[in-house]
Amino acid sequence: MTRASGPYFMQPPVMSVRVEDSMDIMIVRDTVRRAGSLLGFSPANRAQLASAAATLAELVLKTGEPQDLNLNGVRQGEKVGLQVSSEAPWLANVATSNVLIALRSKLGDLVDEILVEGDDPPVIYMVMWLSEAARRDGRRPDEDEDSDEG
Amino acid sequence: MALEALLIEDSKTQAAQIKDTLESVGLRVRVAYDGPDGLRDAIEDPPALIVLDVKLPTMDGFQVCRRLKRNPATQDIPVIMLTEKADPKATMSGLRAGADDYIPKDIFAAEHLINTLQELGIL
Repeated sequence: MTRASGPYFMQPPVMSVRVEDSMDIMIVRDTVRRAGSLLGFSPANRAQLASAAATLAELVLKTGEPQDLNLNGVRQGEKVGLQVSSEAPWLANVATSNVLIALRSKLGDLVDEILVEGDDPPVIYMVMWLSEAARRDGRRPDEDEDSDEG
Repeated sequence: MALEALLIEDSKTQAAQIKDTLESVGLRVRVAYDGPDGLRDAIEDPPALIVLDVKLPTMDGFQVCRRLKRNPATQDIPVIMLTEKADPKATMSGLRAGADDYIPKDIFAAEHLINTLQELGIL
């Protein structure tokens, strides 16, 4: 079982999905949306969280080594959030700073925090805070963006 | 009287399937098969909800969503993007365009769509 604790105080919900098959990516998305709903995230923020978790699950699949993807509530002072984490033994010999650059480039603004901790094996943590998420909801839509991404 | 949803989806097969899901929870559904038709339809007769595909001919779903959210006649209508493009970049593009949810078309799509409708107070 993956170490799910991370740097923050853990609280329910605590859920886990074994990622070993492409079908599991859909289950990851579904489970993250449910966990996000339990914590009070809006549908839009749940969509972000689900996309981030699915991307992490896709990375796990590419390594060919099944991992547990853990979801749990976290608290830091007054802040409540949802944390997604997974062991990443394939990162054991890679500089953490490079890993973080790659993850942030891939995940963009989908989550508020991305951390890599430990080395036996390293664990990737992604956190979205409810307070930040509410602020994001207030900012949408992005009036400046008019490019065609389609 | 049942609330009305506007579905903007170019695939007739997928439109029929999504229409069935929306009708199964008591919504009336009208369908537009491309972005400009959907925009015109939404402005002329604003629905209670818009379900929007991303890959559309002429004008993609992100552009349609941005125009809906900039038009005073349609800006308060909840828009749910339902799409095969589920990567992080596309997800953020949909949400930044103002979508209220961005749901990948997978086996859980109908369930997520209904949950979101409940949460948005449409059901």
